Amino acid sequence: MRFPLRFEARTDSPKYLSAAVPVISIIAALVVGAVFLLATGYAPIETYQEMLKGGFTTFYGITDTLGLSTVLIFTGVAAAFAFQMNLYNIGGEGQLYLGMIGGAWAGLAFGDSLPSAIAIPVVLLMGALFGALWIVVPAIVRSKLGTSEIVTTLLLTYVALNLMNYFIYTSSSFFRDESTTGFPQGRPLPESATIEAFGSTRVYPTFFLAVVVALVLFWIVKRTEYGYRIQVIADSPRAAQYAGISAQRTTLSVMMISGALAGLAGSALIVGPFEKLDISITTMGYGYAGIVVAALARYNFVAIIISAILFAGLRTGGDKLQITSDTPVHIGVILQGAVLLFALGGEIFRRYRLRVVRQQQQAVAS
Amino acid sequence: MNDNIWILTFADSIAIATTLMLASLGALFNERSGVLNLGVEGVLLMGTVSSFLATDSSGSIWVGLVVGTLVGGLTAMIHATLSVVFRANQIVAGLALVIFCTGLANFLGKPAEGRIISEKIVPLDFGPLTDIPVIGPIVFEQDIVTYFAIALTIAASWYIFRTRSGLTLRATGDDPATVDAQGLSVATIRFSYTILGGMLIGLGGSWLMLARASAWNREGTTNGIGWIALALVVFAGWRPIRIIFGAVLFGFTLQLPFTLQAERITFIPTAFTQMVPYLATLIALVALSTPKSRQALGAPKALGIPFVRDER
Repeated sequence: MRFPLRFEARTDSPKYLSAAVPVISIIAALVVGAVFLLATGYAPIETYQEMLKGGFTTFYGITDTLGLSTVLIFTGVAAAFAFQMNLYNIGGEGQLYLGMIGGAWAGLAFGDSLPSAIAIPVVLLMGALFGALWIVVPAIVRSKLGTSEIVTTLLLTYVALNLMNYFIYTSSSFFRDESTTGFPQGRPLPESATIEAFGSTRVYPTFFLAVVVALVLFWIVKRTEYGYRIQVIADSPRAAQYAGISAQRTTLSVMMISGALAGLAGSALIVGPFEKLDISITTMGYGYAGIVVAALARYNFVAIIISAILFAGLRTGGDKLQITSDTPVHIGVILQGAVLLFALGGEIFRRYRLRVVRQQQQAVAS
Repeated sequence: MNDNIWILTFADSIAIATTLMLASLGALFNERSGVLNLGVEGVLLMGTVSSFLATDSSGSIWVGLVVGTLVGGLTAMIHATLSVVFRANQIVAGLALVIFCTGLANFLGKPAEGRIISEKIVPLDFGPLTDIPVIGPIVFEQDIVTYFAIALTIAASWYIFRTRSGLTLRATGDDPATVDAQGLSVATIRFSYTILGGMLIGLGGSWLMLARASAWNREGTTNGIGWIALALVVFAGWRPIRIIFGAVLFGFTLQLPFTLQAERITFIPTAFTQMVPYLATLIALVALSTPKSRQALGAPKALGIPFVRDER
């Protein structure tokens, strides 16, 4: 006996599904979240209202969300850029740490002797450079030997985590603030190497940098010869080979750029709001969230800006629950994961339609 | 005295290898059927948190082990549904599962943070056998789950390579069209093995909680062991017996920082010794990617590719 429902290939994918799949996924995720909230004795509607208020509908809710979306846009485009060539850089988290280390190092070493106009770009670029260097080994072995980049980039995140621990907790560390007693802290960067937020908000000018970077990447992938090369290799490695396109070199450069973007996420946090090497970043998971942001946007760089803002809202809303009441904090992360799981499942409706197979047809088919 | 500590380290490596062995074996079953589940770390976390909560409320480690195993299977069912029924991209689905499970495990474990369970899985008592030098602590001072994991891995090897169902399993991972032509349901086979794999991973997570951690420390409880387990499957060339050796080897690197700390060997900072397991795994993966070794490894040919019968 066969199941009476069957997926049947679609010849074309209706436009409305591009919007319907994410929207339905979000609703479904909220329902799943509500089940867990109810099961643990919380009121789902009130919790969601609080989250909405904390993340989207008040002035500080909106500005906090935009502020947080900055880092998610960076890590989102980092994951999406690699994915353009079917490469999975899931070590964005570790590259982000290295970006912070690189940015903090540059700021502490040169910040005093440089004017802001130079110091800030130097900090940002040093972060990008460190991020790119952190992915260089996975990139080389992927392009030369074909070692799966998925596990190698991820393993290096745990190495990066220990490196962060080392730089912050070692007493003689360059990064450590020795004037504080008690819990180890990072040494604050000189003022010339940091930026101020707009007014009383938590939005930094780096938000606009993130948006511009996303738009530039969109243009690179769609309009340049380099972007065209990436598309050809992604669609058909063999066609690329015949056309004389070197998949090895492009793999290497795409992964390095992806690492640099994740590193930039880290150094953008250094110029503001962190302004020092801070161990608290290791509990935030912005690098991992970038993968979700990118996947929900279906790796489209413009859509990433929107999905980053959406996820930032879920996060700020969830975080504010912690401050305002005794409600569960982690519901924000659950919702992130659930949205992506549903969106992935929903993808099939873009390629297939669900058809009820009648008994007779089944007999013929089998 | 110094010799002794290294023997104990080795004995502990075998112990910590239990989680690696079970998680890798679970991933191996998934992958042999053609399903790539990158969500091992997430399933492992769900296993640890649920076994903590179950043992904490029931007072019995056995309840904890059973609940952890079942929750592992249930979690893997999400992945099975997405990758087998919905033909989703298995790589992204696995990652999404990790994120979802991290959030859920933290959510469920929040009330338990800072508490310690009093019950613990303890080594079996073999009486005087334990006192045999070298062999005693290594062979006779393990707990029942560790012995079970080793026995299970050996049995799995026999099952996969010597039985008819094992042949079907391998065929499903290598050439699903043939299995389908025989009138067997590829979807059912893949679905079942993904859940079986999840149960093994869940058991591994429960053991980690009940024999080692004893407390819920958020995502730090598993600390990337799931990812090492995934790499271990490649390292073992998708063969169960080799998982045992690989698990002990990587177990040793996981145990090393604790021994060095206990021995006050501090000329290498702890942060660096704690990098060793991940770096060792990385080096092993790279070494196994040369064209020659890759041929010898023999990954399932249809790994990660959804099966769609040619439809008119």
